[in-house]
Amino acid sequence: MKYIYSFIFILLLAACRQAQPFDEDAYDERLSGGGLATVFDETQGAFGHEVGGLNKRDNEVHGIGDVTFEQSFVAAPAPVNSGLGPLFNNVSCISCHHNDGKGTPSAGMTNSSLLIRLSVPGKDAQGQVSSVDGFGGQLQDLGIFGKQPEGTVEISYIDSIVTYLEGTTVTLRKPTYRILNPYQPLPANLELSPRLAPSVFGLGLLESIPEATILGFADENDTDGDGISGKANYGWNYFTKRKELGRFGLKASMPDILNQSAGAFHQDMGITTYLFPTEAVYGQPQFDGLADEPELADTLLNAVAFYLKTLSVPARRNVTNPEIKRGQALFKETGCANCHKPVVQTGINLAIPALSNQRIQPFTDLLLHDMGPALSDYREDFLANGNEWRTPPLWGIGLFEKTNGIPYFLHDGRARSIEEAILWHGGEAEKTKSSYMKLSVSERNALLKFLKSL
Amino acid sequence: MKKMTITLSVFLLWGSMGCKPSTVDQEDFDNLKKEVINHFADHVAVATYEDLHTGANNLHNALLALEANPIEANLATARTAWKEMRSVWEQSESFLFGPVDANSYDPNTDTWPTDYVQMDSLLASTNPLSVSDIEGFTLSLRGYHPIEYILFGNHGDRTAASITARQKTYMINLSTDLKNSCSKLLNDWVTPPKYIDEVKNAGNGSTIYLKKQEIYLTIVEGLIGICEEVGEGKMKDPFDTQDPGIVESPYSGNSTTDFKNNIMGIQNVYLGKYKIDGKGLNDLVAAKNKSLDNKIQTQITAAINSFDNITMYYEDAIVPPGQRVQIQQTMDALATLKTTLDTELKPFIIQYITD
Repeated sequence: MKYIYSFIFILLLAACRQAQPFDEDAYDERLSGGGLATVFDETQGAFGHEVGGLNKRDNEVHGIGDVTFEQSFVAAPAPVNSGLGPLFNNVSCISCHHNDGKGTPSAGMTNSSLLIRLSVPGKDAQGQVSSVDGFGGQLQDLGIFGKQPEGTVEISYIDSIVTYLEGTTVTLRKPTYRILNPYQPLPANLELSPRLAPSVFGLGLLESIPEATILGFADENDTDGDGISGKANYGWNYFTKRKELGRFGLKASMPDILNQSAGAFHQDMGITTYLFPTEAVYGQPQFDGLADEPELADTLLNAVAFYLKTLSVPARRNVTNPEIKRGQALFKETGCANCHKPVVQTGINLAIPALSNQRIQPFTDLLLHDMGPALSDYREDFLANGNEWRTPPLWGIGLFEKTNGIPYFLHDGRARSIEEAILWHGGEAEKTKSSYMKLSVSERNALLKFLKSL
Repeated sequence: MKKMTITLSVFLLWGSMGCKPSTVDQEDFDNLKKEVINHFADHVAVATYEDLHTGANNLHNALLALEANPIEANLATARTAWKEMRSVWEQSESFLFGPVDANSYDPNTDTWPTDYVQMDSLLASTNPLSVSDIEGFTLSLRGYHPIEYILFGNHGDRTAASITARQKTYMINLSTDLKNSCSKLLNDWVTPPKYIDEVKNAGNGSTIYLKKQEIYLTIVEGLIGICEEVGEGKMKDPFDTQDPGIVESPYSGNSTTDFKNNIMGIQNVYLGKYKIDGKGLNDLVAAKNKSLDNKIQTQITAAINSFDNITMYYEDAIVPPGQRVQIQQTMDALATLKTTLDTELKPFIIQYITD
């Protein structure tokens, strides 16, 4: 009998030693980007740090990508950084993605970060919305000296007032866009979509989220009845030449960072690469006629993509502050966390261990959601309709004032604060916005403070 | 046992030293924290930007004189004015935060490389080259470097008589554009809503810097950033590729001086010493850790002095045999300094400035 008890005791001990799920509260909440891809810097340079653990060679490639990202390009032919234009929106990556962060919602100036996508109804062979004859899929509003830009963008705002229950008011501004001085007539059925340059850190982690995880969040027909759908977009991968799950871009129509980077070089700067070897203005009178394609060396495009993959996420701040804790709970209670998923696990990434199998806090599901007519661009983008936008990641948003001055939010930068951005939510997010608006002043402040801690 | 006693005494002595109040009491240290920031804001940052504005005026006047009387002496004066202004700007790059960063003054004035194709077609055109035209040009057609290209040619081979009327008009209006940028940059610091208040009121009402620690870290990150940019970018990229074409400021042969001025900017900020010597980071560090202060000061001086060993034009010095050994030594000195700033000064700030 004695032996039996001993045996049971040993058995129990053994059972106690079995691996248990790690307690959710035991994770360090500051680690937004996981163990090696989180950086402790809350200054203006917070978005510009490489992930830890890169080997010497990768470290060099990151550095080359960093330099290329910052370089100004000049008109071809030139001994250094040749290939700008002939038409473009800006002269370097950093001009729009200021400090690797967000941009300024103006167009046609040296510090502008807003561009206008163009289309007419219909789809092309890849399933993308049809581009406009003589203009392509994007309005290039600047040109090298002597080349006429496709047009200029006029942005005007109309103010409206939102009033909370206790009487506090917030002024929102709704933009309207007009294209002035087009170099040739624009079609009557033209569709416009304004896009503000988003921040570029943490992208490698987002790229490392397993497709199964993202699809697991999707609920296109809202079968669980919570009012939140979540729809996957599928865009064209110009490298693999097939449709793939979209993760990047404001409508989640870009499958990976390489396509996104090459697309930006091509459309935003007029620089050809191996993915897009034909000038954006080919067939237009502004074409330079030079046979210098691709203008950007393959290695440099790859280095820029690698640089973007290996930028760390800034750590959260003041995570134990009771008010911020309260805000964190309210974020969940009001329903924000239904789309802005606080915690996601990345998959295995053999190439970059820092991104591999990490518990990250991106606050996105990378899916499309109907945000209502007030935010609609009334234009399709692969499977996205006008009302649908990708849930943007919220990590780092509390630092935008330091990295970018006025922190402009939403796809077109109409919101000048986190609060304004919340108040623009509609469609599927209408209910959550209403819950937010019913909170007391101190609860709202707690929620905003939580968001500022990201 | 004896050995043990000695060990114990050393331990006790060390312990008693540790328990001794530091060389300043907390109240003095708190005051010092404010003084350092105030002195940095008034007598390093703003004083530098005032000089930059003055430098832009001097350059503009020198270019007007050159236009009126295109003699070699006036060309020499204009070149000196360009280099003097450049010296101040490069020193200011040790604190590339605040308005200079947020309002794009850096790219608007200091974009590289030169865009020869556009510049040639611009000069050959009938564009009036007015200041408002220049403001609308792409960044590579604005700022220091197009002026440098016209003033110096290749390593100073430009002659006063060979500068065309169009080039002069372009240069003069470029200098007005520069003057305007410098004036706006200074105003962003000192006229309401003035950025200087955000700096001085860090941790005490600033909406940007909620804690004093944040402005201190911003300053230290600025020092680390420029140290890295010079040692691992501006110097290393052309060095690694042996490509003179990617050296900044090649027309004036001023590249090494530019780099050195960047590091002198680190010294200005660390010592709180630009024209007036006041309280600087050195005083804060010395109050708690004298040996760290000594180390940082020694490493800054060593880095600055090492530039003097590079006597050739930088674009020649990178091509073998050139002066690659001297360049490597300077890059090593910068790497050492960066490591100290990053792994010792930054943790020092985090440890001792918590409010």
